[in-house]
Amino acid sequence: MTKITFKQANRRYLRLFVPLMIFYSVFCFAGPIMLRAMGEPPKWALGLVAVITGAPIAAVFWLMGRLLRETDEYTRTIQVDALLSGGAITLSVAVIWSFLELFQVVPRARFFPSMMMVGPGFFFAYGVSFGVQAARRRRGTAG
Amino acid sequence: MKTTLRELRAARGWSQGDLADALGVSRQSVNAIETGKYDPSLPLAFRIARLFGKRIENVFLDDG
Repeated sequence: MTKITFKQANRRYLRLFVPLMIFYSVFCFAGPIMLRAMGEPPKWALGLVAVITGAPIAAVFWLMGRLLRETDEYTRTIQVDALLSGGAITLSVAVIWSFLELFQVVPRARFFPSMMMVGPGFFFAYGVSFGVQAARRRRGTAG
Repeated sequence: MKTTLRELRAARGWSQGDLADALGVSRQSVNAIETGKYDPSLPLAFRIARLFGKRIENVFLDDG
């Protein structure tokens, strides 16, 4: 089923993941600077910068899917658990926050739940979940 | 599931990393299988048995 080894799959993942994250980090700041330099940017420029800024996140999700298919089966079980946990935590926070905003319990936060926070928030929750899952499996307490 | 994998690997003088490289999986996978914390799929179990020239039931023992 898996044609390449665990190490090859990880290398293939990191070869694209690192430049994509660098691009994302740089463009989060470079995009607004470019738009400010344009004075009053047209709508197409605003849209283009928005799509270009968010595109690396979409690409990383595709990369994670590829890694999931290519990695070894044991790592895959941990990855699936971590993705599920990370997604559940992030979406739960985003949904609850949205309702809190809707009922005006909290002030409208311009940065949340936009991709500015949901993307990095998901990756953070996924990373923590992956560490927890791996530790639980090492101890033999994963359920 | 009980396994004789650790003994088979030790007999060849391989580290968990050596075995992981031979199978194309992570060292953590080998450790989890050896300690009975993870039951490998049938294809991986066959690959392991084949690597040591054993029958699958001589490597993995049903403890149910």
